[in-house]
Order: sequence, then C-alpha cells, then structure tokens
Amino acid sequence: MIPYRSQITTALNDAKWAFSTRRVRRDDVVGLTDTLEDAVSGDLVLGRVETIGSHKRLQLTSGRVSELYPDDLVVVACGDRYAADQFEGIARLKAKGADLLASGGVLGHLRKRNGRMQSPTQVVPLGLLTDAEGKTVNLSSYAMAPAGGATHPTVIAMVGASMNSGKTTAAASLANGLRRAGHHVAVLKITGTAAFGDVNAYEDAGAHYVADFVDAGMVSTYRQPIEQIEAGFNLMLGHAGQQRCDVAVVEFADGILQAETAALLRSRTVRKRIAAFVLAVPDALAATGGSTRLQTMGIRPLALTGLISVSPLSSAEAEAETGLQILTRDSLRDPAKASALLATAAAADALSKAAA
Amino acid sequence: MTAALQYVEEPMPSIGSSLTHRPARGRRGLACWMVLPNGMAPDAIPLVAVHGVQRGAEDKAVLLQDRAEQLGRPVIAPLFDKETWPHYQQIVRSGRADLALLTLMEELRIEGVWQSRQFDLFGHSGGAQFAHRFAMLYPHLVRRLTVGAAGWYTFPDQAEFPLGLARRPDHPQDDWGPRMAAGLDRFLSLPIRVYVGALDNQPDDNTRRGELIDEQQGIDRMTRAARWTRAVRQAAEARDLEPNVVLRVLPNCAHDFRDCVANGDLAGFILPMEEEIERPAVVSGVKMRATPVGRA
Repeated sequence: MIPYRSQITTALNDAKWAFSTRRVRRDDVVGLTDTLEDAVSGDLVLGRVETIGSHKRLQLTSGRVSELYPDDLVVVACGDRYAADQFEGIARLKAKGADLLASGGVLGHLRKRNGRMQSPTQVVPLGLLTDAEGKTVNLSSYAMAPAGGATHPTVIAMVGASMNSGKTTAAASLANGLRRAGHHVAVLKITGTAAFGDVNAYEDAGAHYVADFVDAGMVSTYRQPIEQIEAGFNLMLGHAGQQRCDVAVVEFADGILQAETAALLRSRTVRKRIAAFVLAVPDALAATGGSTRLQTMGIRPLALTGLISVSPLSSAEAEAETGLQILTRDSLRDPAKASALLATAAAADALSKAAA
Repeated sequence: MTAALQYVEEPMPSIGSSLTHRPARGRRGLACWMVLPNGMAPDAIPLVAVHGVQRGAEDKAVLLQDRAEQLGRPVIAPLFDKETWPHYQQIVRSGRADLALLTLMEELRIEGVWQSRQFDLFGHSGGAQFAHRFAMLYPHLVRRLTVGAAGWYTFPDQAEFPLGLARRPDHPQDDWGPRMAAGLDRFLSLPIRVYVGALDNQPDDNTRRGELIDEQQGIDRMTRAARWTRAVRQAAEARDLEPNVVLRVLPNCAHDFRDCVANGDLAGFILPMEEEIERPAVVSGVKMRATPVGRA
C-alpha cells in the first residue's frame, strides 16, 4: 500500500469520478494498492488518461459529461463490457495501460471492437482504491440494502432485438404515459453497462423511482453470475415496491441473443415476476425473428415497438407477419394507451398465474 | 391547502367550507369549481363532479357543498366549456377530454387540493357519459363511480365502439374500444351507482337516437340506465367477478339535476359515508373479495 494519504486525498479530489462510482462514499477511500492483476469487476481504479480515443468524454457522478484531456486523473470501475455497436472487453487491468470501455466509467481489457469504432481511450491504472482496512473498494459494498416492498408492482419487460433498437425510448415513453395516467412508476434496468443516459431518460420521463444494476452493486452485468443479476433484479423490485410503485418497466440491455439477457429470459426467478413483454425492433425481419425466438422461450410479447414504429411500411409488414400491434413512441406516451397496455399485462399475468 | 385557497372568489356564509373558482390554465386547460371544507384531512378523497351538456359546473359544486362539508371531502367540478369541448362527453372526440381532466387533477394535486391515489367520479347527464367512459379508460384512478341519467352509454359488450367495446372495422386505427376493454375487469369491479329520475322516461331533444342504439339501449334514459346496469352486472358475472352496481330510480324526479337533488335525496347517494363505500374487488388483475373499507 502506498502510505501517503494526503497525496492520495489530493489526487482523489482532483480526479474525475465516473458515473459508475456514484454510490461510493468517497470518505471510505484512504489508499491505493498496485495489485492490478487482482482486480475484479467493480473494483475502483484511480487512473491517468494517456491518449484520447473513442470515448472523448467521461460521464460524471454529477450527471454531466466531462471532456477528457491527456493526464486527467479519473476514478472509474474495473469492469466487463458487451456492446455490439462498440466494444467487447473484460475486467482485466495491466500496469502499462487499460481501455476505457464505456463513457460511464468502465475500465478493462478490449477484446473485440466494432469496425466503426476508433481505438478506445487509454488509461494508465495508478492503483486500486482501498479502504481503511486495506481492502479494495468495490461497488458491491455499496449496493442498496434489501427492502421489503409495500406493494408488488406489475412488471412490464422491455426487450430488444439488438442494441439501439429503441428500448430505452420505448421504456421512457411508456413510463411517461403511465405516470400521466396516475400510476406510480418505477423504471429499472436489469442488465447492461453503467451509463447515465438511460437513467436520465427514465427520470426525464417522470418515473417515480429509477434504479439499475449499479444500485445492486454491479458496474456491468456482462459475465456476471446469473444468480447475482437475479438477486439485483429482486432487490430493485423490492425498492420499487417500498416506493409504492404499482408498475415497473424493466429494460433488458442489448438483444435477446445476448448471453445474460437470454439466460434471464429463461430464468424462473425472473420470469415469475414479469407480467408481460414488449419487444423493440429496428425492422420487420427483426420483428419476425425476435418474436419467433421469444416463442421458443415461451414468451409472446404484447406488442412491438422501437425504431420500426417510425416506418409505416415496416410496421405493416411486421404486423402482418407476427400479428402483434406496433406501438409508436407517441402511443406509449398516451395515458389511455399506456393504461390499457398495463391492464392487458396484469390480466395476462393473472391468467398465467391461475393456470400455474 | 394554502395554494388552493388563493382562488377563493366567492366566500360562502357557511363557516365549514369555501366555494372556490379556479380559472383554467393553458390553452386547453379546464377551469373548475371546488368545495374545500375547512380543516379537511390531507388524504381526503375528492369527488370529481362532471356537468352535463348544459354545463353548470358551479351548480354541481353548490348543490353538493353541504354534504361535502359534512364529510370533510373536497368536490372538484371541472368546466368543459362549449367552445373548446363540444363533445367532451364522448371523451375521445375533439381534443381528448380525458387528458384535460388528468392535467387538471395533476395541477390540483401539486397545489395541495388532494393527495390520495384515487378519486370518486360522478357525472350527471352528459357528465355521466364522460364519467363512465373515463372510468373505463382509467379504472385504477376511480374509487367509486356514480352515473346519473346518462343519455346513452358505452356498453361492456361486443358492439362496435362507442356503443360497445369492439374495434370499428371502418376505423382500423381507432382502438378506443379495445383500450377500454383492456381494463374491463377492474372497471366491472368498481362500486358503480346509477340513478335516473322516474319521470325521465321519455326521449327528448338531447336523447341520441338511431336504430342500433335504440335496439341496444332503449329509447329513453330510464330504460337505458336499467339496461346498462344489467349489462354491467352480467359482464361482471360472466368474468367471475362480484358485481357491485346498483340502480336507483328517483321517485317524482325528471332529468334536472337540481330537481334530482331536491326530491331524490341525491347528495347522500353521490357522497355516502365512508363506511358505506366498498373497495373494488379487482386490483391489478388479482381478484379479491369486496370488503367495506374506510379511506384508501
């Protein structure tokens, strides 16, 4: 351990703390350890920006983005990343340099890169942050405490054919419609990588309660044990219930073929809490393939939404092929439509539970 | 209540409540009259009282004021003005009257007029049309529904909307019927009270007529109220729900609201004692036994 607490304190005060670290009590951090090879997902890292690459800005705990400059000090979390449109990387650090895998503050080792992406921003890890007992500070220590729900929200899951298929816009729009209809709405993100874009979108839509896997102690759900993600899901639902939310819109990141998402969609623990699914897709073929794939899991979505909904022609193709209604952003924001969707979900859930 | 009291324009002689006019906010906002009992509980459940096509929102508030004061409950009587809301009673025509009421209620919540999650909803004549259709769209918002002397109804059946809840083949994009059908279990489980004057048994100039509607609903308000009440009861039973719908025929009353209040002892029917109000038997799709409760 490096014993110079005052210097560390100064460095930490000067550093840009990434959004992924938002739950950490900074007073807990008293030192650094250079055992980078021991780093695991969720460990906090003090790093120095070496070269600016793909991610030119860092999302801060304050909710704004900060332009990155060479030699900036940053506090980020070691973590994995799965993003078909960007990077795939794992929670591994090397002293000579690491890759900024996500602008929410995820540092790791790049394995695969989308051809349209530049090389990642390089960060030199100066050490892992430690607490007064010399233990590495990890996000898991800052997960929310378990909460007993005063209510059990009806859960509508938003899944997608792929990254950037319109899930977040649809989830936020549905939350807005439900809120305007007088519901108390939670929006939860069960999987993905720490970032404030989705959280901000949900809050902007007027959700009464917003949480993601970071609130359950994870910087990313990629390559995490399914039981841990399930526990995080139940933790968030408990808090939504404690906040007296009667409905929770739950977004699954990436597409339904992604490993963790696929496993969770087959999980009895998760499925028994979900009343209904909505599938976000970019086009008609994805609608057909996505709904067919969901059927193999015993899921028939209530509706399609996402980027497809801006195209009347694609919507007509998808509706004819799947028999599912297409919900536009505006229709999800309509209180009467959102309420009807929730009522249909609740009725389907009641039928399914009665049959079981 | 401080924010709400600033709208007081017409202090009443009663020391127990005030009659308040709140001007409309925004281009399509609703003005309203409110009865605000002094010292009412923060969780007092408001009654939203919707006027008929002759308007008269103030009348609704004035005639219910004594009873509201006695119960310590606010009454909110929105005004759908004729120019902006010519078809407010059908909700989905000409500008979405449902959204206007939602916006008004949200503003009044912000101003501290009410804090509960639900309100009681009452409408007379055209207001009754509005009230039952609003409750079909948003059954979760309504604790108790009172439908008075509606000219005609949307039935919980498979007739094409707006007579029933089926999609209209000639308007494939119009899904109002299915939207209302989605929450039908919850609607059918609401405590619903229907009234009509015993002398309101002849069609008049304001009674919508036509082959389809006459065949489904009858030709006068009395017959239509009875058939709709029966249809709601039968639809609930068909869904294995416990119906909680009651029709009251007001002796010696015709269609006028003042007449019904004066001669039909209507205020207590619209605003009963708390212990007389039953909880809806379905919450979020889960069937429950209906049980009398106090404030939700």
